[in-house]
Amino acid sequence: MTDTTRQTLLRDLPKAFEAGPQWLRSLRGRAADALRGAGLPTHKTEAWRFTPVRPIVEADLLRRGTDTPKLRSSLPEGVIVRSMKAVLESEPELLEGKLDLAGPPEHFAALNTVLFDDGLWVDVPAGMVVQTPIEVEHTIGAEGVGYPRVLVTAGRGAEVTLIETYTGAGVGHLTNSVVEVDLAANATVRHVRIHENARLQVGRVDVRQAADSEYRSTVITLGGELLRFDVRCLLQGPGAQCQLDGVYLVDGDDHVDHHTRVEHQAPHCRSDQTYRGIASGKGTAVFDGIVVVHRDAQKTEAHQENRNLLLSDTATIHTKPHLEIDADDVICSHGATVGALDDDQLFYLRTRGVPKDFAHSMLTFAFLEAIVDRISDEPTRARMREALLTRIPHGDQIGDVT
Amino acid sequence: MLKIEDLHVEVDGKPILKGINLEINAGEVHAIMGPNGSGKSTLAYVLAGREGYEVTRGSIIYKGLDLLEMAPEIRAAEGIFLGFQYPVAIPGVSNIYFLKAALNAIRKHRGQDPLDAIDFMKLSKEKAAIVELPDELTKRAVNDGFSGGEKKRNEIYQMALLEPALAVLDETDSGLDIDALQVVAKGVNALRGPERAMLVITHYQRLLDYIVPDVVHVLIDGRIVRTGDKNLAKQLEKDGYSEVRNAISP
Repeated sequence: MTDTTRQTLLRDLPKAFEAGPQWLRSLRGRAADALRGAGLPTHKTEAWRFTPVRPIVEADLLRRGTDTPKLRSSLPEGVIVRSMKAVLESEPELLEGKLDLAGPPEHFAALNTVLFDDGLWVDVPAGMVVQTPIEVEHTIGAEGVGYPRVLVTAGRGAEVTLIETYTGAGVGHLTNSVVEVDLAANATVRHVRIHENARLQVGRVDVRQAADSEYRSTVITLGGELLRFDVRCLLQGPGAQCQLDGVYLVDGDDHVDHHTRVEHQAPHCRSDQTYRGIASGKGTAVFDGIVVVHRDAQKTEAHQENRNLLLSDTATIHTKPHLEIDADDVICSHGATVGALDDDQLFYLRTRGVPKDFAHSMLTFAFLEAIVDRISDEPTRARMREALLTRIPHGDQIGDVT
Repeated sequence: MLKIEDLHVEVDGKPILKGINLEINAGEVHAIMGPNGSGKSTLAYVLAGREGYEVTRGSIIYKGLDLLEMAPEIRAAEGIFLGFQYPVAIPGVSNIYFLKAALNAIRKHRGQDPLDAIDFMKLSKEKAAIVELPDELTKRAVNDGFSGGEKKRNEIYQMALLEPALAVLDETDSGLDIDALQVVAKGVNALRGPERAMLVITHYQRLLDYIVPDVVHVLIDGRIVRTGDKNLAKQLEKDGYSEVRNAISP
């Protein structure tokens, strides 16, 4: 960020917030203060070291574009989906304590808190099990910066699947999204999120989990000029579990960054992270994941795996899975690989008559499909598989091979 | 069908094959026997077109064409099949569907129409039966979680499906108990025919009791040092390779 744009932005940030309830005004004020204090990240900010953040911070961040997420699926009976704006006007007390649920936000998430205008609140009442996925679409418009916001609250024992799609041509456009998921005890939330045709995107998902809740996420990133995605899970109740899966593909001059942070704050929790990526062309992909096991989180089980295929000499992969453990009775593992396609497998397929480029595609797709196969809802799995195939050479012909 | 002349091959700069001459006609089954490290698998890989095997001298002419100029998949399309000693597992790629893609690529090369799913499944069932390969295994990921015997049966099932003109079987007997060996051999014998040639590579004579060769070659230190009929294999079994080695040493 150049000093001028930084100063312009900070100068123009609202200092006082007139609208909304007192708690919201202080929430926004706190976020604005955080921004004035720490600003937006630069390449010197540790967590943004590999992200060429300049085109994002140089965008006209105060020029608003379209950003209201749209509900695309029919609404299952009993689930309540409401406009945040409407709730904040009529019954603001309903949202008190539910926004910025992971604590004071930083950087772009803070900017979203300061500036978001509307959003969707998906509320699944206690005990309700929703079979049909709820789909939220974020259409990226042509101009301005979007600040979409989604809140999912799953009551005690509730079960729901959320699909989020980020699509659109989005020339010149930037989205800076914040999604928050709050799971009460025994709740289950499955979250499938796909980024397609991203130009500039910053996204954050914050998850707060009470006892014995389960959060399963699959993030699929199909390229992007510059995409930075952060997911954070706070395992706050004993027996909570999260599974964070991800698939990313970069080609051309794409740059995509996936960051995960899992905080084991309570005992007997389990977390699993499996991210797989493929880099070709001059693309760059980053995976940076951390598991933090707090002192009292005994009997934690945490696993973290990142596997990558580097398919060209000019592509780059940075991978950094790491652990910070303050408890002593834990089972933790982490690992990362960066490699090429297996020569033995390629040769085997070719000796059977499969052309070389076809064999490449089959193996590449099989590598990523293993993650998509873990999506439990069949129609969603099939759809994500199709989306992935559109980015694999000969994808239209190898779909039934794997 | 196949004519190998003065073939010299190096791997990582190290000479492995040092002047192989071999001619195989349609309808013939040739066996290549030899101790470990004699270059048997290298010969198989060179015929199938594996990268990293440098031909420094000599030629391989297959059906009148320069084999060494062809990519592995073109060789397959022209009718060459390699049965691997250690078939690789390919998690995530299903056996039957990759074979359908393979067979249809081969058919395209030959100017034939592709088989549709129904015809292919019918053909697959028929061929799997030859080696008693359960239907369920034909649908699983390639060799993933297969036992040693299942992998070898899978190789012969694939061979039956692709109907090659020249089948190169590299140590098809290794790791098989006698029952599995008989099933595999039965599968191979079912494919013998006047239009088809086979090159059976083995360390032991045992396999040749079941797949009886027309010609037996002994490969030692990158050269064929003896050629004879099936009785040569029996003699080797009795005397061992050191006898041959001593006999050829000056």
